[in-house]
Amino acid sequence: MEKQVLDRNKSKNILKGQLKIFFGYTSGVGKTYAMLKAAHKAKDRGIDVVVGVVNTHEDPLLLSLLEGLECLSCNDQKNSHEFDLDQAIKRKPKLLLIDDLAHINAKGCRHNKRYQDVKELLNTGIDVYTTVDVSNIESLNDMVFTITHQKMEERIPDSVFDNAQQVELVDIDPQELIERFSNTSIASMEVFTLEKLTALRELALRRCADRMTLLSENVRMNYKLGYYTDEHILVCLSSAPSNAKIIRTAARMAYAFKGAFSALYVETPEYAQMSEEDKDRLRSNIHLAQQLGAEIEWVYGEDVSYQIAEFARLFRVTTLVIGRSQAANKKMFSKSSLTEKLLIYAPNLDTHIIPDNVQPAFHPRLKKTAFELSLRDLLICAIILLLATLLSVIFSRLGFTETNIFTVYILAVLIISLITVHLSYALMASIVSVLIFNYFFAVPTFSFAAYNQGYPISFIAMFIFALITGSSSRRLKDRTKYAIESAYRTKALFDTSQLLQHAKNSDEILQATASQLIKLLDRDVFIYLNNNDELSEPHIYKKNEESPNFEELCTSEKNIAEWVLKNNKLAGAATETFSEAKCLYLAIRTINHVYGVIGIVIQNEPLEALENSILLSILTECALTLENQKNAREKEEAAILAKNEQLRANLLRAISHDLRTPLTSISGNASNLLSNGEEFDEDMKHHIYTDIYEDAMWLINLVENLLSVSRIEEGHMNLHMQAELMEEVVGEALRHVSKSNHPITTSFSDEFILAKIDAKLIVQVIINIVDNAIKYTPEGTSIEIKCEKAGKKVLVSIADTGQGIPDEIKPRIFDMFYSGANKVADSRRSMGLGLSLCKLIINLHGEEIQVTDNQPHGSIFSFTLPAEEVVLYE
Amino acid sequence: MNKYLILVVEDDVPIRNLITTTLKTHDYRYLIAPNGESAILEASSHNPDIILLDLGLPDVDGVEVIKKIRTWSNVPIIVISARSEDTDKIEALDAGADDYLTKPFSVEELLARLRVTQRRLSMMMPEMQNESVFQNGQLKVDYAAGCAYMNGEELHLTPIEYKLLCLLCQNAGKVLTHTFITQKIWGSSWENEIASLRVFMATLRKKLEKGGGVQYIQTHIGVGYRMMKIEE
Repeated sequence: MEKQVLDRNKSKNILKGQLKIFFGYTSGVGKTYAMLKAAHKAKDRGIDVVVGVVNTHEDPLLLSLLEGLECLSCNDQKNSHEFDLDQAIKRKPKLLLIDDLAHINAKGCRHNKRYQDVKELLNTGIDVYTTVDVSNIESLNDMVFTITHQKMEERIPDSVFDNAQQVELVDIDPQELIERFSNTSIASMEVFTLEKLTALRELALRRCADRMTLLSENVRMNYKLGYYTDEHILVCLSSAPSNAKIIRTAARMAYAFKGAFSALYVETPEYAQMSEEDKDRLRSNIHLAQQLGAEIEWVYGEDVSYQIAEFARLFRVTTLVIGRSQAANKKMFSKSSLTEKLLIYAPNLDTHIIPDNVQPAFHPRLKKTAFELSLRDLLICAIILLLATLLSVIFSRLGFTETNIFTVYILAVLIISLITVHLSYALMASIVSVLIFNYFFAVPTFSFAAYNQGYPISFIAMFIFALITGSSSRRLKDRTKYAIESAYRTKALFDTSQLLQHAKNSDEILQATASQLIKLLDRDVFIYLNNNDELSEPHIYKKNEESPNFEELCTSEKNIAEWVLKNNKLAGAATETFSEAKCLYLAIRTINHVYGVIGIVIQNEPLEALENSILLSILTECALTLENQKNAREKEEAAILAKNEQLRANLLRAISHDLRTPLTSISGNASNLLSNGEEFDEDMKHHIYTDIYEDAMWLINLVENLLSVSRIEEGHMNLHMQAELMEEVVGEALRHVSKSNHPITTSFSDEFILAKIDAKLIVQVIINIVDNAIKYTPEGTSIEIKCEKAGKKVLVSIADTGQGIPDEIKPRIFDMFYSGANKVADSRRSMGLGLSLCKLIINLHGEEIQVTDNQPHGSIFSFTLPAEEVVLYE
Repeated sequence: MNKYLILVVEDDVPIRNLITTTLKTHDYRYLIAPNGESAILEASSHNPDIILLDLGLPDVDGVEVIKKIRTWSNVPIIVISARSEDTDKIEALDAGADDYLTKPFSVEELLARLRVTQRRLSMMMPEMQNESVFQNGQLKVDYAAGCAYMNGEELHLTPIEYKLLCLLCQNAGKVLTHTFITQKIWGSSWENEIASLRVFMATLRKKLEKGGGVQYIQTHIGVGYRMMKIEE
């Protein structure tokens, strides 16, 4: 899981456009002015500049600067603070001016925040100039708050600031700024005193300096790979509102130390009872941590401190950051606070405790249901106690001692604590038992008074016993439940990878992924595949038969899926982009490639953080499997290519040898005829003519084979597979075999045997085999060609009654350029090409060729072909 | 002197020499055109009886030459192709060529093709046109009556077989491509029909060639079929 988070961080796109930030310590320092000035300069250089949105505050200076610049939808520029993203992308200027990067978009815009718009713009290759206040920087938010005591809602992630190509600091002396304010008398600015402004200015300057340090570090890292400090900062996540500040502090530390940064959440049994509000806050805290570059980890356990210590030990955490309220969070029955326990479990860990002055101290509100009296449970208590009392009455009649009766009640309390939902029932039951015992069985009976001096002790003992057994059995129950849950999750992930491993094609991979997700999330899902940057038709997977059709939903939200594909970011319900959608859309991707987009029907129930993380791991697994599959396919293709290359090399070598011999004979004979033709007698001449003719024919035959090979080399696609009548194919082949005195007979088991073949190539196969038989058997040897239909195959066999082929040669007879008995490498003619070509052709049809012995002597070449059934169209 | 005038369109000199030598020794008259442009010029000015056309010409594609000539003339065209790909031949045949030869070809093959075309020419004589009865060797097709006879006996043909036979007879001596036939018979051309075509062709041929060993229908593997003109 952690690797996966890392991947996601790494895969953050390298933006195409350039981002320049004009950075100032407060509003009014002249950021917008500087931006517009720079824009004019750019325009003078001939750059296509367009103003997206600029907040002029009706300042005449700024308004005059706006003149001469093209504005995007200038007509409603003054009253609206939004700009049209799609229009900007359509206009596609070289440089776009967008004021106030941290702006929160109005409802109904594609993204919730403006910086997301800007990211998209950069992605499309548009350069952007923008302005940022120091108070907009996420990690500095708390520090600004301590200075100004004003809460900033508009914030941008630090990464946006750090990854900007240029940051121009717009600085002005605070004293001068105050003077400027007094001139323009902007009311809201009067709250800033010189002192505060100086503090803010320091913050801004330091942040810029930090950014410079980071840049130089990055440069250095490029030269010195693996440069990284051993620091690993861990922050503990909680649902407390003060947690955000702790996360930011930890992020700053991680940043300063240049160390690894993790955020840990320990899920305790209380998690299930947490109110929705708290869960929401936890989600947003996790999101914040993620934004600040933390790797999110999620573990289960009752003992928070132990889990933290274990995690710290395993992942070599050097520094732990926790909040004071977390640190002081003392449970009623636990002996020591979290920090004290941490000191015991992990004595070597640096622990930073951050004060969180959110008042009043936060206590997670548990759902009320925990304390609600359930009628069912009360009834169970009553029945069990009644049974115990009955049993005790019987015991006392039988004269058993009080100790036995006592045990009966203890047993009853134990059973109650096991069956009921809440511990309070067991407590209640133990009190009631003590009372009943006292009333019915302790002397004096039917009175709450106790004569025996030991009774009070017994009562207390019983009470405590009931309490201990009850709470311990409860804990056991809880633990089992969590063990089962976490086992279920582990198993789900394990199953997923198992299923994915067995999936043979992308359809099966998607099917496996979808079924696992449905199992885990209990939601409908649908998947689009990426077909060359276009979405395929959605594959829809329903959680069960009854679930409503959501094809319409798919089509209505397809634009979101397309956006996800294009921008490689998640969008839809419960995200900051297209947040009004009904479904959540995520890219199925690896570092290099988006393989598809998955849509999950959310309706109005957002995924839990844990579900989210499992979802991400399953998707990554899915993407990796898809990638593996793609790689395997590519590898296979490469292997085929290499094989073809090998074939070509072998071929060229053999051909140059095979061509030389007949060409020597032809050219030699022809030159003889030219120079001393008159001296030869007719017989001699005839002999020479015949030689020339035969050698030429031999060459023609070779060329035919070569053409077949070249067609095969071009690959499968080049085969013209058609239904052919075998009778016609054999007939055609026999018209081309060498003329000789070998009687050739044909027989067909069926009237019309149709095979789906490339006729040209199969004709070549038959010619080659028959020619071989003619060449290697004495004249007069009969050759028989048989075609029979066997199920879905056509079996063709070509038998001769020659001397046969020795067993030791048979396995190699189909090898390329193996020329039978002719063992001398430079011997006149190899027949190697013919039979190996036959094997190639037959294999290309997906069939096999073999050679066997004929009886009593000779050999049979037989091969199969795919049969074709025909439906006659009358 | 042979009465047939043959236009040889071939840019390769040795091959052209081979063809012209062969034609000369067999008493044909011939014209020579080394490229497409001159071929069209010669064809229009001298009105040859048969054209031997190499598909690989230096200036234009041979198929274009066929299309040009076909705009005004029905002169039989025999295509000579060095490309062994069937698609070239089929393209040329569909463009209007009558027959084809694949390099390397033997002299005998060239002469045989010329003879086949000559017979076809004699059938195209004006008095043979528009006749309601087709006669070829022992095969007789009475278009008006919708009957076919072999050796005087009526052949029992299925409707499709009869349609096929008529199509072949009307184009006797010419190679018909699979696509052409399926288009004419079924109105479309898809794989299953090509399989059907093979079976119908085979049964038709069995019925035609049942008696004597005379071959009426010639199969051109990967290309199509042709009705052979039988010499009396």
